[in-house]
This record gives sequence, C-alpha cells and structure tokens, in this order.
Amino acid sequence: MTVQELVKKVFFVEILKGLALTLSRLFTKPVTRRYPKEKRPAALGFRGLHALVRNPATGEAKCVGCGLCAAICPSRCIYIYTKEGPDHKKVVERYEIEVLRCVYCAFCVEACPFGAVVLTPHYEYSDYSRDNLYMTKEKLLQNWDKYMGEEGYNYFDKFWNPKADHFRTPKEQPKWRKS
Amino acid sequence: MSILEAIFQPGWVDTALKVGIIVVKILVLIAVVMFHVAYATYFERKVIGRMQVRMGPMEVGPHGLLQPIADMLKLFFKEDIIPEKADKPIFYIAPIISLASAMSALAVIPFYKDFMVANINIGLLFVLAMSSLASYGIVLSGWASNSKYAFLGGLRSSAQVISYEIALGLSLVGVMMMSGSLNLNEIVKAQAAYPTGFYAIPQILGFFVFVVAAIAETNRAPFDLPEAESELVAGYFVEYSGMRFALFYAAEYIGMILMGCIASACYLGGWTVPWYLIKILPFLKYVPGIVWFVGKVYFIVFCYYWIRATLPRYRYDQLMSIGWKLLIPLALLNILITGILKVIF
Repeated sequence: MTVQELVKKVFFVEILKGLALTLSRLFTKPVTRRYPKEKRPAALGFRGLHALVRNPATGEAKCVGCGLCAAICPSRCIYIYTKEGPDHKKVVERYEIEVLRCVYCAFCVEACPFGAVVLTPHYEYSDYSRDNLYMTKEKLLQNWDKYMGEEGYNYFDKFWNPKADHFRTPKEQPKWRKS
Repeated sequence: MSILEAIFQPGWVDTALKVGIIVVKILVLIAVVMFHVAYATYFERKVIGRMQVRMGPMEVGPHGLLQPIADMLKLFFKEDIIPEKADKPIFYIAPIISLASAMSALAVIPFYKDFMVANINIGLLFVLAMSSLASYGIVLSGWASNSKYAFLGGLRSSAQVISYEIALGLSLVGVMMMSGSLNLNEIVKAQAAYPTGFYAIPQILGFFVFVVAAIAETNRAPFDLPEAESELVAGYFVEYSGMRFALFYAAEYIGMILMGCIASACYLGGWTVPWYLIKILPFLKYVPGIVWFVGKVYFIVFCYYWIRATLPRYRYDQLMSIGWKLLIPLALLNILITGILKVIF
C-alpha cells in the first residue's frame, strides 16, 4: 500500500467525494415533473388512443370496411362487420377496437389504404370499467372530433403520411405502363 | 390521615411548586420533541429527495409542509393488526419500551444554561444506559412478532447495538476525562472555558468514533441492517401497524435527535459559542443559547440524512469488523492520547 492509498483510506477520501457530490445535488433544480399538474406534450406521431377519420365531405367515417387493419393487427383486437346497404353498396355496420388488448404498433394506420384509422396523441384515458374502453364506431368517430378535429387532417397527412389516400398515384412517380 | 400528613408537611407549597415546574418542563419538552420528530421525517424526505434530484413531498400544503400531519392522521386511524401467533404481552410492550427509553434519556440533556428536566450527576451514563435499553424494544419486538423477518432484524440489531455501544461509550470517555464530569451541564460549561470553545477539535478522533457509532446505534443508513428494506422488508417492526408502528418510528427519530443533542453538548459546545467568535462578531452574544444548541442538533441530524443519501448499506461482516477492529481501537487510542495530554498539561 503506497502512502497515497493509505492517506486516501485514513481520511475516507472516496466517501468525502461522494458526500460532496450529494451536497452539490442538493442545490440543483429537481428534474421531476409533477405529472397531473404539469403535463408533458406528446411528441408528433405519439401512438395513443384510436380514432376513425371523419370524411370532411360527408361527415361519415372514411372507412370502407376492407378489413386490412383487422388482418394486420398483431393482437387481433379490431373487429369489422359489414353488410350490404342500399344500391348494392358495402356498408360498415360495426367497427370496434378492444383498446385494452391493443399493443399500439400502428400497423393498422400504416395498412389502411384510405387513411381511415389513426392513433391520436391522447393518452390519458384510464377507466374503472373495461366496457368504457371498448371502442365502438361512434366512440371512435367522437375520438377524432375530440382529439384531432380540424387540424387533425393536416397533422395526419404530415406525420402519418398515409400510403395511398384514395389510391392516388403520387405525382413524382414515373408512369411505367406503356399506352 | 398519615398520607395527608406526609403530603402536607411544612413547606409543601414549595415541593408542589417544584414538582409542578418539572411537570411543565416535561410537557414542554415532549411537545417540542414530538413536533421535531414529525418534522424530522419531512426534513429527511425533503433533503434526500433534493439530493436525489427529486422534489420530495409537495402535495399536502405548500411545499408539502402538512405532510407529517397527514401521515400522523393516517397512522392514527389505521387498523392495529396483531399477528395471531405473536407473543401478545411482549408485542404490546416492545414499542413502549423503545419510545420510553428514548424519551427518558432526553431528561438529562441541557438545552439551555441549566435548563434540563433532571440535573443529575451521571447524565452521560444515564443516556448511554437508556440508549442500550432502547435496543430491548427492538429485540423483544423481533422476538414477539413471530416472523422470520422481524426475528432476523431483532437479532441483527442486538448484535449491532451491543458492539457499537462499547465504541460509543469509549468515545465519550475522552470528553469525560477532559471535563472531569458526567453531568452534561458541567461538560458544556467546561467546554466554554476551554481554549477552542468546543471539544470536537482536541477530541477529533473521539468525535469521529462517536458519530459513526451513533449512526450505528440508531440503526440508520449505512448501518441500517436491522431494518434493511431490500432484504428484511422493514426488519424488526415489519409486523406492526398503526399507532404501534408510529411509536417505533418516533423512537427511531427521537434516538437520532438524542444523538444530535449529545454530539452538540459533548463535542460542539452545546448552547455556548466559542469566545473568539464573540470577539470577532460581538453581536453573536445576543443570540439566545437555545438557538445555538438547536442549530447544532439540526446540523447533526442533517448529516444523518446526508450520509443516508450518499452511502450504500454495509455488509454484515463489514459492520462487525468496523465496530470491533476500527472504532473500538480508535476509541481506546483516543483515551490513551487524552490521558497522556492530561498528565503533561
């Protein structure tokens, strides 16, 4: 043991260093955020509560009931029931999401060819009953109104960049078909 | 008739007055100390929180100032659960032993010049005796709970308190030798007459041993093996709930405050200020003595929290080797040096 080590041991240099560190931290600002009073804004594209996009033209859901979201869903929590409506049209009768089983992967958003389903940045929806967290079509549309609303379209297009809004061909894509 | 005669002897008014004064003193002391215990928990949570860059209690009242009161109310209205297989009489009496021994030791502490409940000549010895009695509460509660965690906590505590009791007593021998008295009041007065104004400088070795042994004696981090949260849940009082739990908690904090008081009275000069400080800053002599005493106690208590926020818990064998191989030889060396110096000068 060298003299230096001995001095270090006798005068508890390391313990004193630790004490100095904790004392210096006493005078710093706490990093805690007092959550319910002080909320942290969700980042762009935060994957929170689900919503069905309202078609601005008709005011109805954009969803056509193709079932791609239900097919890609890894936790199988989307249920879609369709029926034949007037003039031979496909009508989405029920569109339901079991929120408590969702894993928030947003595959449904990416899979949707019409940009009809989205995850909103809203994340505070804990409840005492499971039934309230079983989202029906009406509730999902209300979620859109509540948490996305008018700016929602802009935000949705900008961030989620839905693959093909109404199967539109992107302008920059070269035409490969000879005609 | 004879009882009445015994009470109403000539001069009974004086006796009654003396007893009345003592009772008032006791009531004031208990009220003040219990208030300090309540706010020591708040202070601890706040200091440790800020040291860990957290906020500590913030919700109840401004900056969480009413938190201790909320805690007290909660503990008061909680169900008092007694384990079915517990040894009931001992289970009942253990927290009371803890609290009573911790509180009775406060009687001999001189908070201010000649203000003490009992001015007895063996003050320091009384404090040491009471702090070792307090470990009976811990051992008995560990035994009576009939739970393996409580039992292990009690066993650890008995071993720890017995080992560190020796170091604690020996470290104070240096102070006794220098002041020539066991009365804490006399010790403080002797310090005021001493050139440095307090004994922490000549008795630096003794002071170090005392501080370490006091932390171990009160079962605080880093020597909190009897109540090691991560391994023994809460240690000896794991089976207690409600008010009985609160009694143990109060006893622990009174123990801390008591050790702060002894450190203040024996090493840091109690209610007095060193004479050279008064010479430099003359206005200091108008500050009442109780402020000095209490300030020193607060400082020691803050150091407890500071050390708790910094150091991890020692292993059991480390604890024992620190006690027996380091602190006791150091305390003996301190006595030797003090004795030699006393003979020379």
